Amino acid sequence: MIRLRSSLVAVMLFALASCAKSDGRTVLTVYSPHGKELLSWAESEFEKANPTIDVQWVDMGAQEVLDRLRAERANPQADVWFGATAEIFDRAAKESLLVAYAPTWKNAVDSAARDPRDRWYGTYLTPEVIAWNTQAIDSASAPRDWDDVLDPKWKGRVVIRDPVASGSMRAIFGAQILRSIRETGKPDAGYEWLRRLDANTKEYVLNPTILYQKLGRQEGAITLYNMPDIATLTQRVGIPVAYAFPKSGTPLLVDGIAIVRGTKHEAEARKYYEFVTTKQAMIEAARKFIRIPARTDIPHDSLPREVARALDEIKPMPMDRAMLAAHLDEWMTYWDSNIRNRGKTK
Amino acid sequence: MAGDVEETAARRGAGSAIATWAFAAPVLAILLWTVVYPNVSVITGSFQGGLANWRAFIASPADREALWSTLVVAVGSVIAATAIGVPLAFLLSRTEFRGRRTLAAVATLPAALPPLVGVVAFLFLYGESGVVTRVVQKLLHLDHAPWSLTGIKAIIFVHAYTMYVYVFLFVAAGLERYDTSLDEAAAGLGAGPLRRLRRVTLPMLMPAIAGAMLLVFMSALGSFSAPYVFGGGIRVLSTQIVASKLNGAIGLAYVETTVLAVSAVAALALLRWMERRRGYTVSGKGQLTLRRAPRSRLVRALLPPVAVLLVVVLILPHAMVVLVSFARDGAWTTQILPPEYTLDNFRSLATDPQLWTPIRNSILMALVATAANVIVCVVAAYLVVLRRFRGRRLLELLLVIPWAIPATAIAIGLASTFDRNDPATLRLLLVGTFWILPLAYFIRGVPLVASAVEGSLRQMDPSTEEAARGLGASWLLTLRRVILPAARPGLVAGAMLAAVTAVGEFVASVVLYTHANRPISVEILAQLRGFAFGTAAAYSVLLILLVLGITLLARMGEGRRDAESTSINA
Repeated sequence: MIRLRSSLVAVMLFALASCAKSDGRTVLTVYSPHGKELLSWAESEFEKANPTIDVQWVDMGAQEVLDRLRAERANPQADVWFGATAEIFDRAAKESLLVAYAPTWKNAVDSAARDPRDRWYGTYLTPEVIAWNTQAIDSASAPRDWDDVLDPKWKGRVVIRDPVASGSMRAIFGAQILRSIRETGKPDAGYEWLRRLDANTKEYVLNPTILYQKLGRQEGAITLYNMPDIATLTQRVGIPVAYAFPKSGTPLLVDGIAIVRGTKHEAEARKYYEFVTTKQAMIEAARKFIRIPARTDIPHDSLPREVARALDEIKPMPMDRAMLAAHLDEWMTYWDSNIRNRGKTK
Repeated sequence: MAGDVEETAARRGAGSAIATWAFAAPVLAILLWTVVYPNVSVITGSFQGGLANWRAFIASPADREALWSTLVVAVGSVIAATAIGVPLAFLLSRTEFRGRRTLAAVATLPAALPPLVGVVAFLFLYGESGVVTRVVQKLLHLDHAPWSLTGIKAIIFVHAYTMYVYVFLFVAAGLERYDTSLDEAAAGLGAGPLRRLRRVTLPMLMPAIAGAMLLVFMSALGSFSAPYVFGGGIRVLSTQIVASKLNGAIGLAYVETTVLAVSAVAALALLRWMERRRGYTVSGKGQLTLRRAPRSRLVRALLPPVAVLLVVVLILPHAMVVLVSFARDGAWTTQILPPEYTLDNFRSLATDPQLWTPIRNSILMALVATAANVIVCVVAAYLVVLRRFRGRRLLELLLVIPWAIPATAIAIGLASTFDRNDPATLRLLLVGTFWILPLAYFIRGVPLVASAVEGSLRQMDPSTEEAARGLGASWLLTLRRVILPAARPGLVAGAMLAAVTAVGEFVASVVLYTHANRPISVEILAQLRGFAFGTAAAYSVLLILLVLGITLLARMGEGRRDAESTSINA
């Protein structure tokens, strides 16, 4: 009995050793919110081209990546950070968690889609859209602009992500306050807008999956979210959802890539950085995963129709990034304690 | 009994004190280093920059609200779980009726539902568009859902389902050991059934009930999955900690963690204090409790259908997971049940070259953590039960503390302590490596294994060990032939619980996992994030099977023990 058990332990330890051991390739660790499909695809393509490098990705939300990097500051575990909004990258750069790298295509992005000191560069564009369940709402009567969503006829039919936990919602809320400041010099009109949105909102959902489920199963009919996720949802899961780019303009978030400060594999990290941002890779990501390229040197006719349409139709809302960085937290706190759930007089 | 132990210990004298310490020192060191040290760094972290973080906590309405909701959820869960668990335990161990065996077999099923999976199953059942909700809506001809599964009541509902098992198990075990002659004596003295229940049975069961209530309280306090999915606007401390951390307010996160852990430890201390004041012990070896058919014919007629209903309710979440694993994603919109079924979800699992990696990781980590639990906890329980030495009290405390510390707090403690190699402060770089998760699982498993082994050792006659040593057996032989056989029933049960918990662990895992140890729960979360409900459910089915496998393995271990002990007794 004892012998059997100790041999079991030996087998276990052996399995453990073989599992911890790498196969001699250089391990490149990528932190990314881009999801299993995109990451597996990038991994296998990159490893085909670079047989001496073993890409290991860890998928988590962009905020969580930032949190991890902070926690691992004394001993960085990641080499590349693939995917986060400009807002989050700016914060990481300010906390000196990133190292500068100017990619070969540095001149092919707008100045708004990169860090002036090269600590991150934009890869994909993420426009925010208004989406609705086409079985619940006739597309002809669906809201087409931000103010349409406030119509009392949608009361109790709007389901959105909890803005405290969602980059997309923060951007949409921030954009409304910025618009109010632009038009009246004060945030009050923006707060009033949010108050009316709150009155129409049935629920603030804590994570995207539950949001899609509620939208698909008609617990809510309308949502505000980002276009790539909504489009992927319809394409992959077949939930009947349509979306519109708001007529008056929409916040256009930039999603980027960066190299982690303290990486022990800077050369490999740069290789990966370049690999996932070539023109070809951008086009592939657009085709396979509906990612809208941030590079401006990609001909629209090489992109799938939905992505090309997005690039043509989007009217970016002016977003004062410095103002957002300085005040967004404070606006969100105000919303959280004074507006959330106040409009529901049931 | 207790007197005997004191006496033999006193007789043992100073000679064995060195031997005792040879065991006690490493165990104490391990527990201090892994359990206490990380939490101390969290507490000191909360005071970084003086009292600023604490002031921010007190000033924040969100945090005050979170603390209040956390307590409401915890107390509500205790009430609900007790209200279900105690009557069910009485029903199953005192009454005979048709369907009793089936009900008894499924009564502990909720414990086998991994946390994240369980919560999602509830969403599919009782959420606004859930199966049960839509059936009720249709039956009552309502034009809107009859209830909404959000907020505090939803969290308590889920907790009641998953946590009543603790109360049920503790009370059922108490009833098994319970000496019915006391009841009969009271009856002979003319006490009616209600009076007997109030004055005899319940007080005797109080330690079991109180222990279970404490367990529910602490589990509910630290629960993360349910508030994360159903919270919908309400805040609790465990989600607040994660939010603060993500917003970069790590000092505030430390304060919230400290408050959460301190509330739990306070509850633990309160219970200990009450136990000491009451001083009841369940004595006697216990008799075969006789189950009687209820006297009232009405009750007799009602019991079987009620049992059937309960069985259905208990099986539903598991059934739902299996159902969704065969449903086509996206096809299920306004219908009551998924309209289309497919094997695609399992097919997409089978074609995923990475399919086995998370499963292998989880099994391996559960094995490592449980093996470490077994070694440390057998020694610790042996010391606590059979030895008297300075530091025994401390050891006893260290063995229960991880119970009181919510998984989020454990994870944050580990992340802030083992993030660098620094021998001077006893820090080791584990963050970002494989070993951080087995360590977290180990910590969570300590109280489970230790308390189970302690329970078994307390039933052993301490003079057996004395006798073995007196007859010249070496300590190794005594350990193998006397201590381990005595510890075995508890050891098997405790190790099983620890392994089951580790294999489905979600809360600490999601904070600490890396590429090298990505566990099953994180894989399920990733599938959910990619809107693949079907594949997530298929994966959950694999996890449930794994849990069942571990349970069966433990049953087999227990069975063998029974055979052995009967052969020895014969």
